[in-house]
Amino acid sequence: MSVIHARSVTKRFPNGFEALKGIDLEIQPGSFTVVLGPSGAGKSTLLRLLNGLETPTSGEVRVYGQPVDRRHLRRIRSQVAMVFQQFNLVGRLSCVTNVLTGRLAHRSWVGSVFYLFREEDMAIARGALYRVGLTDKAWERADKLSGGQQQRVGIARALAQQPKVILADEPVASLDPVTSEEIMTLLREICDRDGITVVVNLHQVELARRFADRIIGMNSGKIVFDGSPDQMTQPVLRTIYQREGIEDDNSLDMALAYA
Amino acid sequence: MNAQPLKAALPEQLPPKPRNPMPVWIAATLAMLWLIVWDLEISFETLAYGVEDMAEYFGRYGQPDFTNLSRYLALMGITLATALWGTVFALLVAFFLAPLAARNFSPNAVAYRIARETLNFMRAMPDLLLALLFVAALGLGPMPGALALGVHTAGFLGKFFAESLERVDRGVCEGVASTGANFPQMVMYAGWPSILREALGYVLYILDRNVRMASVLGLVGAGGIGLALHDTLRLFDYGQSAALILVILATILMIDYASAWLRRRLG
Amino acid sequence: MITASTWRWPTPNGLPPLPLVGGVVTLLGVLWLTAPIVEVDFVRLFGSFGKMMHFAGQMFVTPDWGYVPQLLAKMLETIEMTVLATAIAIVVSLPLGLLAASNATPHPLIYRITRDLLSLMRALPELVWALVFVSAVGLGPLPGVMALAFVTVGFMGKFFAESIEVVDHKAVEGVRAHGAGWLQVRLFAMLPQALPDFVGTVMYILDHNMRAAAILGLVGAGGIGYDLVMSMRLFQYDRLLLIALAIYLAVTALDRTSDHLRSRIIHGRHA
Repeated sequence: MSVIHARSVTKRFPNGFEALKGIDLEIQPGSFTVVLGPSGAGKSTLLRLLNGLETPTSGEVRVYGQPVDRRHLRRIRSQVAMVFQQFNLVGRLSCVTNVLTGRLAHRSWVGSVFYLFREEDMAIARGALYRVGLTDKAWERADKLSGGQQQRVGIARALAQQPKVILADEPVASLDPVTSEEIMTLLREICDRDGITVVVNLHQVELARRFADRIIGMNSGKIVFDGSPDQMTQPVLRTIYQREGIEDDNSLDMALAYA
Repeated sequence: MNAQPLKAALPEQLPPKPRNPMPVWIAATLAMLWLIVWDLEISFETLAYGVEDMAEYFGRYGQPDFTNLSRYLALMGITLATALWGTVFALLVAFFLAPLAARNFSPNAVAYRIARETLNFMRAMPDLLLALLFVAALGLGPMPGALALGVHTAGFLGKFFAESLERVDRGVCEGVASTGANFPQMVMYAGWPSILREALGYVLYILDRNVRMASVLGLVGAGGIGLALHDTLRLFDYGQSAALILVILATILMIDYASAWLRRRLG
Repeated sequence: MITASTWRWPTPNGLPPLPLVGGVVTLLGVLWLTAPIVEVDFVRLFGSFGKMMHFAGQMFVTPDWGYVPQLLAKMLETIEMTVLATAIAIVVSLPLGLLAASNATPHPLIYRITRDLLSLMRALPELVWALVFVSAVGLGPLPGVMALAFVTVGFMGKFFAESIEVVDHKAVEGVRAHGAGWLQVRLFAMLPQALPDFVGTVMYILDHNMRAAAILGLVGAGGIGYDLVMSMRLFQYDRLLLIALAIYLAVTALDRTSDHLRSRIIHGRHA
C-alpha cells in the first residue's frame, strides 16, 4: 500500500495563482524521492499539502489511507514530520526543548504546557540529538547555532516524532555546499537505516541525481517527469526547467550543467 | 524673434507639480482648533492675566508640610500594593485571552472575535468608571480599585500581547504546528517563548501606569492616597498638598527608575 | 499512573530554571504579604458577585432620552478638550523634543535639564494636575486642557526625543556638509525623518487623552466626568447607562480610527 496518495490535486491561491494543476502521485514506503524543479513549480505547495499546512482546492490527499483533513490532522502530523528551509526552530528555546516539540502530539497535552516531559520522551530526544551528532550542543539556545547545526536540530526534531514519513522542503537551500552534502547524507542514511519514507524538495540537480531513488520533476504546477536518476537525461532536464519565452538554446544546458 | 529654436533645445519640461495638500490641512486644523477654543469658552486673555496669579498660587506650594508623612507613606504603600494586585490580575486574564485574540494562534474565527471584543471592551471602560462601579458593588477600600485597574489594564495587556503574538515568525509557528501540536501547545512553545522579552516590557509598562492610576483612585473611595490629596486641596491646605504631591512624585519616579533598570537587565 | 519521578523539565538537572522559580516565589510572597493591605478577600469578592449582577441589572433601564442633548454637549466638550490639549502639546513638544535629543541638543546641560523636566511633567497623573489647576483657575474645561497638555508634553517630548535620536545620521551629515545652519539641519534633516514615528505617537496619545479627558470632570475640570460621577451618586442609572455607552463608543471609534490610520502610515500614505 502506498504511503502517500494524491489524486487530481489542484491548488489555487486566493490571489488567483494556480500552484498545482492536477497532480496524481503515489509514494511507496521506505523510498527516497526527490521533487525537482525551478522556483514557482509548486514543489513547496505539494509538500505542504501532505501534512496539512495547505489544503487542496480540489482533489484528495491521503496518508496511509487517511485523508488529510482537520479530523485526522493531529494523527497524520504525528506520523509525518517536516524539515524546513529556514529550519523553523524556536530560537529562544534550547535544542533539547526544540527536539522535544516533536513529542508534543504523542501524548496528552496536559504535562507539556508546563514544559513537563516524561523520561521516555527525554530519552527519545537524547537519541535523536545523538543521531544527528549534536549531543554537545543540547542545552544551548537554538538561535546560537550555525545554519547547518540548526538544520540538524530540525532533523532531530523530525526524528523525535518517530515518524513514518519525513518531508523536507528545500532543506539545504540556505546552506553551503559542504553542509548541504552532510544534510543530504544524513537524510539518506535515515531512510536506509530506519526505513522512513523521505520526500525531499530540491532545486539542485546534482544532489537530486546523487541521492534520489526516484525523481519527480515539476514545472508550472504539473509533474513533467517521474523516474530514476538515470532516466533523467538532458532533454528531460530541459522540460523540467524550461520557462515560457526562453529559447531552447545552449544557455539552459549550460546553466543546468552547473546546477 | 527666434525663440522657437531655443525652446526646442531646452530639455523637456518637468511635469506640473502635484498640488500640495499640506497648507490646506494645516489651515483646516488651525480653524478647527480656533473653533474649539471658542466653544470651550477658553479665554486666553484671562489666562495671560492670570499668569501672575498663578505664579503666586504655585508659590503657596513652596513650603511642604511633612507632619503627616508617616500616614502618607502608609497610604502610598497601599497604593503600590493596589497597583501590584491589579497588574497581576491583568496579567492572568491577558495570558489566557491574548492567544485567542491573535489571528495566527486562535483556534477559530468565533473565539478570535469574542476574545478581541472582550479585550476592547475592557480597555474602553475608563478605570475610574470601573472603580466607581466596583465600589458601589463591593463597598469602599482598595480591593475594588485593584479590580478596576486589573480589568482595564487586562484589555491593554491583552491587546499588546495579541499584537506581539501576531508578529511571531510564521515559519516558527509552522515548525511547531508540523509536529501535530494543538492550540495550548502551540501557544506555549511557539507563542510565549518568541515574545518573552516584549511581553515583560509591556508588563512593566502597565505596572508603571497602574501605580499612577492607583494614586488617583482614592478620589472615588477606592483607597490610597488620592483621597487625601483631594481633601487637603479642598481645605486649601497647600503645605500638606505639597507634601502629598512630593510623596506621590517620589514614588512614581522610583518605580520609573526601577522598571527602566529591570527592562535593561532583561534586555 | 503519573508519578513524580517520571516527569521532568527540559533542563540539565530536570528542575525548572532557577531565575524563573525565584521570580515566581518572590512574586507570590509579595502578593501574600500585601493581600491584607489591599483587603483582598476572595470570599467577599465571590459573595458580592451576586450584588454586582444585581447592580448591573439595575443599569438596564429605559434610558433617559431627554438627557441626550446634554450628554452630546458634554461628550463634544470632552473631545474638544482632548484635541486642543494634544495640539498644544504637539507645538510645545517639538522644540522640547529637539532639546532633549542627545544628537540635536545645543548643550549637554540643556539636554539633562530638559530630560528631567519632561520626566517630572509626566510623573503625576493628569487628574492630580487637574485638581491643582482647578484650584488655581477655577472650574471648567480650562484646567482640564491645561492638565492634559502638561502631562502630554511630558510623554510626547520624550517619545519625540527618542525618535530624533534614531534618525539616520548620514542624512544629517549630508545636509550639514552643504553648509546648513544649526536650525536648518534640525528642521530639514532630523525632523522629517522623525515625523512618521511621531505621527504614530500622536495617534496613541490622542487615544490615551480621550480616556483621560473623560474622567477629568470628576474634579470639575470639564468633560463628561462630572456627569458620570453625579449620576452614580444620585442613582440615576438611566443616565449612567447612556454615559457609559457614549464613552465606550467614543473611545472605540477613536481606537479603530487610530489603528487604521497607523497601519496606513506604516504601509505608506498612498497605499
